[in-house]
Amino acid sequence: MAVITYLNAISQALRGEMRRDENVILLGEDIAVFGGAFKVTRGFLEEFGEDRVIDTPISESGFTGAACGAAVEGLRPVVEFQFADFIACAFDQIVNYAAKNYYRWGIPMPVVFRGPSGGGFRGGPYHSQNPEAWFTHVPGLKVVQPSTPYDAKGLLAAAIRDNNPVIYFEHKHLYRRIKEDVPDEDYVVPLGVADVKRAGSSLTIVTYGAMVHESLAVAERLSGEGAECEVIDLRSLSPLDRDTFLTSVRKTSRALVVHEAQLTGGFGGEVAAIIAQEAFDVLDAPVTRVAALDVPSPFAAALEDAMLPTQEKIYAAAKEVLEY
Amino acid sequence: MQKLKPARFLDPALDRTSIAPNETLSHDQLITWYRTMRLARACDKKLGALYRQGKIVGAVYLATGQEAICTGVVSLLERNDYFSTVARGLAGWFLRGVEPRHVIARWLGRDVPPSHGRELGLFFADIEHYGIAPYHNGSMASWIPSGAGFALAFKIRKQPRVYVAFTGDGATSPGDFYEGLNFAAIHKLALVVIVENNCFAYSTSTDKQMPVENVADRAPAFNIPSEVAFGNDIFEVRRVAKRAIDHARAGNGPYLVEFKTFRASGHGEHDDMGYVDADLREFWEQRDPLRLFAEYLDGPGGLGETAVKAIDDECTQVIEDAVVWAEAQPEASPDTVGDRLFAP
Ligand SMILES: Cc1ncc(C[n+]2csc(CCOP(=O)(O)OP(=O)(O)O)c2C)c(N)n1
Ligand SMILES: [Mg+2]
Repeated sequence: MAVITYLNAISQALRGEMRRDENVILLGEDIAVFGGAFKVTRGFLEEFGEDRVIDTPISESGFTGAACGAAVEGLRPVVEFQFADFIACAFDQIVNYAAKNYYRWGIPMPVVFRGPSGGGFRGGPYHSQNPEAWFTHVPGLKVVQPSTPYDAKGLLAAAIRDNNPVIYFEHKHLYRRIKEDVPDEDYVVPLGVADVKRAGSSLTIVTYGAMVHESLAVAERLSGEGAECEVIDLRSLSPLDRDTFLTSVRKTSRALVVHEAQLTGGFGGEVAAIIAQEAFDVLDAPVTRVAALDVPSPFAAALEDAMLPTQEKIYAAAKEVLEY
Repeated sequence: MQKLKPARFLDPALDRTSIAPNETLSHDQLITWYRTMRLARACDKKLGALYRQGKIVGAVYLATGQEAICTGVVSLLERNDYFSTVARGLAGWFLRGVEPRHVIARWLGRDVPPSHGRELGLFFADIEHYGIAPYHNGSMASWIPSGAGFALAFKIRKQPRVYVAFTGDGATSPGDFYEGLNFAAIHKLALVVIVENNCFAYSTSTDKQMPVENVADRAPAFNIPSEVAFGNDIFEVRRVAKRAIDHARAGNGPYLVEFKTFRASGHGEHDDMGYVDADLREFWEQRDPLRLFAEYLDGPGGLGETAVKAIDDECTQVIEDAVVWAEAQPEASPDTVGDRLFAP
């Protein structure tokens, strides 16, 4: 065990998987010589060589399609998008090729797409987005988003070992901010299993990614006021572990759904709909969502802060649900 | 609208109305390739009929007039080379052993492998049995990047295998065409791009698709060799494609060959080709690849008219039988709609 950052956990998982399986290769912009825009793959070129750590030209659709083809042929490519925002350029290859290949042909495509996502550090409209909902709508894709170093390492290992396309969103704002004790050895966090990050009986907060930490902070504050929140970290959006949050809601009778992505069409709508449909009989308050405003991610601090969900907004919404 | 003169339909340097090989070929080889092309033609004719009878629903896409290209190219491949093509390369599938009855059953939406009713007969992929890779996501040019990816895997594993991507002329305009070839050229991947320039992308003629005369003129951007050739002459197809395949297999990187041809049926059978001038059709009718091949076999090829006719009749019968078999196959059960979304 050692205390490592979220970013180091991602590096560890990649290195571990590359050591245990020579079919794992990496493709992305500036990942080899430079070690990646965020230095996730620093030193990888030296250890694994240029056949396995490939600096690509700036052509997201091109290297995504190439990774998909190589995956069909039995390699296990891990694609790094320099910023998750640019996954838009590869959208077609992901939603039309990767997602549908197994359904059409019964031929597996084990490929992972890493998307450094999320805002809160003044990245502006093209370095801050949370595009998970673009993909959770597409059958055939797995979509995960870890919130802690432990989960980051275990989910990435599981994603690489999975025989399907997996989109792995890693939150840039957590990279160096979040540290914890993580086992040195390899382990997996299974895809499709949520985690109760904090137990409680007054209110269920269903969340994932960076908002797990904001929600936990709000839960602490509410605890001081006598309300115990249960914080569920979905970790995987697809496949979705409904049981964990439905079980929790049956216990608390109140649900708040929190994510950093924009509200409308966001994944929270799906969670809220499931709770409304499956747990209607136990609800004591409307299922409520906290998410970013429906605008692009603005650059200036005052604007971005106004756009993003904050502890204040989560707290206010939680109070409303608790007092309904 | 200005009418194109026959000389402009095809560079006179490429044009011919009779064909002959410049290599020694056995009767067996000639018969195999001719039969493959004839089988594809007969199958297409039948598919068109099934569509008009309402038995094939949605749409059906044929390959009439383009049979020589895939036949010639696939005849040069090793068993562990990959190629991918939509139904415009029907004859290529047949040459690899795909059976007409399975193709027809898929067009009918029957529960046959590998797609079990999930995909049109337009597409086909089965690596295990035929070395035909899943490469196409429905979007034009999407297979150039994936083709580069297959070839990347060959290179990393130091295998002297090639991947042949068949491509329409229209599919050389989307960004994926550039992104895929750019990547393949940088890494010197064994990606052979065979462009079937059939004068149209759906209803849009090539002059509205690209500012250059030939698709091959785009190759200098990737610093790769390219050639333009006549695609209705199976012997020329073999001659030129061999250079491309040898080049790629030797580790020299991608190679692009543009074969001039003509789509003698509509984009799909719903398309009456009202936008195609009669003289253009007639020009290419004189150069139909099966006609050219049959005339060679009848004459200098030494097979004789009776033998050629026997092949034609046999192919017609194979397709008749194939339809009977295909129609007897079960429809996919609605219970299976959710199956096989994720690999175990
Ligand atoms: C990106 C994209 N846009 C539109 C289509 C619809 N479409 C299918 S085939 C086709 C024409 C293709 O022309 P070409 O590449 O010349 O091939 P051909 O049909 O002539 O064999 C079009 C527009 C598509 N499949 N993909
Ligand atoms: Mg065309």
